[in-house]
Parts: sequence; C-alpha cells; structure tokens
Amino acid sequence: MKARYFATLLASAALFSVPALAQQSGKDVYSKVCATCHATGLAGAPRYGNAADWNARAGGGVGRFYQSALQGTAKGMPAKGGHMTLSDGEVKGAVDYMLAAVKDGLKLGKAEEAAPAKAETKPEPKPEPKKAEAKPAPTPAPAPAPAQQSPVAASAPAAIAAAAAAAPSGGDVNAFNRMLKPAGKRNLPPPEDGIHDPTVDGTHALQPPLAAFGTLPKSFAGNRVNWVEALDKNKISPRADRQDPNAVPVVMDLNVVREVKGSMPDVVYPHKQHTEWLDCSNCHPAIFNPQKGSNVISMAAILLGEKCGVCHGKVAFPVSECRLCHSKKKEMPAATAQGK
Amino acid sequence: MKSTRVSGGGLLAAILLAVFALLFADVQDAQAEYGDVVINNYSDKAGMRPVVFPHWFHRIRFRCKVCHADLGFKFKAGGNEINMVKIIDGQFCGACHNGDIAWSVENCNLCHSGKPNTPTQVHESTIQKLAIPAGPAKK
Repeated sequence: MKARYFATLLASAALFSVPALAQQSGKDVYSKVCATCHATGLAGAPRYGNAADWNARAGGGVGRFYQSALQGTAKGMPAKGGHMTLSDGEVKGAVDYMLAAVKDGLKLGKAEEAAPAKAETKPEPKPEPKKAEAKPAPTPAPAPAPAQQSPVAASAPAAIAAAAAAAPSGGDVNAFNRMLKPAGKRNLPPPEDGIHDPTVDGTHALQPPLAAFGTLPKSFAGNRVNWVEALDKNKISPRADRQDPNAVPVVMDLNVVREVKGSMPDVVYPHKQHTEWLDCSNCHPAIFNPQKGSNVISMAAILLGEKCGVCHGKVAFPVSECRLCHSKKKEMPAATAQGK
Repeated sequence: MKSTRVSGGGLLAAILLAVFALLFADVQDAQAEYGDVVINNYSDKAGMRPVVFPHWFHRIRFRCKVCHADLGFKFKAGGNEINMVKIIDGQFCGACHNGDIAWSVENCNLCHSGKPNTPTQVHESTIQKLAIPAGPAKK
C-alpha cells in the first residue's frame, strides 16, 4: 500500500515536473503581477499578509479564491490580474503564495476547503506550507489521482472561459468578424447603451431607438436608418422651423461633381439632399468655400472630422459607405487613367 | 513608494478606476446610439450627471438647420458652452425645452442621465474610434 502511494506520488511528480519547469513560482508571479495591487490594497484588493482582508473573503474556500483570480471579480480584480499569458497553474500558485502568508489567521469556508482544491495545487508552487496539507490525501485512496490530474484537464476550459471573457464580443475568441458590433448590440435602449446611467429614473423614461426606427427605411451604418430616404418617402416630417410645423425648407437642386484621384469613382455632391436638412449658412462659407474647385478635401480630413466629416461620421452616414458619395464612374482607358 | 501607501493609495485607486472605467466601460461596453452626444462641460464639477443628447430623436422631429442655423448650435460637441442659465433664458435647448414646444427644465434627469465621468464626445463617431480621449471627462 505504502509503496503504491509513493509510486503514484512519483508518477504524478514526473507528470508535473515538465510543465513546472516553464512555470513561474507563485512568489514570482506575486511579485511581478499581483503585488501591484495586493501589496498595498490598491482598489480594495485584499492585502498580502493581512489576515483580516482575506478572512472577509474566505467564505467560499480556496476554490473561490482561485475562481476570483482566474476569472476576475466585479469589484475590480481583472481575470488573471490582467495577464492572460499566465497559466492557470501560475495564477493558482500565486494565490497559494498569498494565502500562505495569512495561513495562521485564515479561516476558510468549509465549501471547498478539503481535498480537491488543496491537492490540485500541490505540484504548482514550490512553497512551504503545502507539504503538510498533502499528507491527508492518501487516506481516501482512489480520490487524489483524478483530483491531481484535474489541473491540466480543468485548466483548459477555465482558460477558454477566461479568454472568452476578455474577448470584446464576449464570445468565441476566433469568432467571425469579432470586431464588428453584433446585431444584438445595435440600437440598444438607453439603460443598456453604456452611456446612460441606468440608476436614474430619467434613463428609463427615454424612448428606445428601435421603438422609433421600426417603420423607417434601413441602412447599413450609423443609426442603421436611411434618413434621406425616410424624409423622401415622408416617413418622418421634421420641422424646418422651431415653431411652425408648416414651414418649408429652401431646397436647392444642384449637383457638384468632384473629380478625385485614382480609380475611385468621382464624388457627386447633391445640394438637394443637403438643403432638405440644412441651411446654406451651415456649410458656407465656414466649412466650404462656395466656389467650385476652391476647396481642398481629403479623406484624411474627413476622417478627422473636418469638411464633410463635420457631419459624416458623427450624425450623417459614416465614411464606410464609400459609394454613396463616390458614385460617378470614370470612363477609364484602363492603365492610363491617372492622377487628377 | 511605501510612504504613499496610506494617502496615495486612495488617489492611485481612483486613477486606476478612472482608467479602467475609460478602457472598459467606455470603449468596450458602450454601445451608444450613433450620434449620441455626451456633454460634460460643467456637469461633473457641479455634481450632476452629464447630459446625453440623442441626435436621432431630434432629427425625426426637426431638420438640422433649426438647431444648427436658427438656434446657433455649433457643429462641435461641448463647443456651445451651454449652461442652465442660458437654457432658462431661452437660448440653445431652452428655445424649445420651455414647456411650450417641448417639456421644460424641471425634468432634470431626462437630459442629465449620463454615467458620471463620461467625457464630452460624439458617441460612435469616426473620430471617437480613431482617437480615444486621453483624460476622464471635461474638455
């Protein structure tokens, strides 16, 4: 029996010695990463060596501490201390290192205190206190073996979960189009949009965008409403005067064609759609000199919020909709078309 | 460093939290409607929540020119230096939000409904995505 126990111990030691080589010790991880907050109690972190701080959070046992360290907490602990390159074992080792410092004063919750949690981390840290706890392990003879393998097996899903939590979309890290705003995150009601304070009554009294957009023609950018078409088809009837609902705007129907460089289609600027919404004085002369050919416009300036970018990219459709402006095809004798 | 433990800790924590709030709350979590403008020129300092102006709601009801030509709103988030005195005096928002054309100023929380410390900016704008504001709030 005894020989068998040692054999298992040896086997497991061999099993873990390989990954352990590459791993940093709990102490190393603590001093490089955790100490930033946990040495001083920054942002309310439980302080290293302060038993009272740790006891206040010990209700869930060691397992709970591991979970908080790996996945982060709502109070401000980032998952893995913000260092996603750390392995689960390294993080747990650091937790063990910090717990060891308050071991004497620590009263862990009953929940997970016993075998699995402790046994699990035995191989990771090199530190002092674990040996004592490892002894009771052999008594429930078959149990420790699976428990000891669990760090490897269990760390994989845990790592995925942690990585997924860190991914912007909150889903699969390798998801298709992960940087695009998913359909479910568009046109959110005010309490969920991230800029309104959901604790205020006013926020909940506001109209959710989708309640208004339901009947309006769609587009692929901005509010995802085609405002020009909405106005054209009388889906909306915005006033042209603050008080007088019957005032009509002064509409000017004049297209200005801007020839642009390269193979990009020329820009057709329609005064009509603009004067439906705007007054001449909104653009002329401050933003655009009312003289054809006298305005220097570049996409860079537009992206930075100048020229067309005063509105386009803020409230009017953004620059992602290239062909709404660059709409006049050039007649191009292929290779010779250059410049201009 | 050690000496800052007590007094500096709170300050550091505040800065750290502000940075976190900016990084996470603002950029990642914020799913604001296109064109929503947060105006925080004076609100935070006065202990009031910043104002959120929804362009989409207003453009359904008014053409751009009503505010931007007739009422003199500049095309610049936070650039109009609006305060409550001007509004009650009938300027800017107060031209309509007077209990006549639209509900009046006693509905504080309908405008002042932004999350505290949200900086002045046009949300979801191209420029916001290109250049993340450096400091917390106020410009």
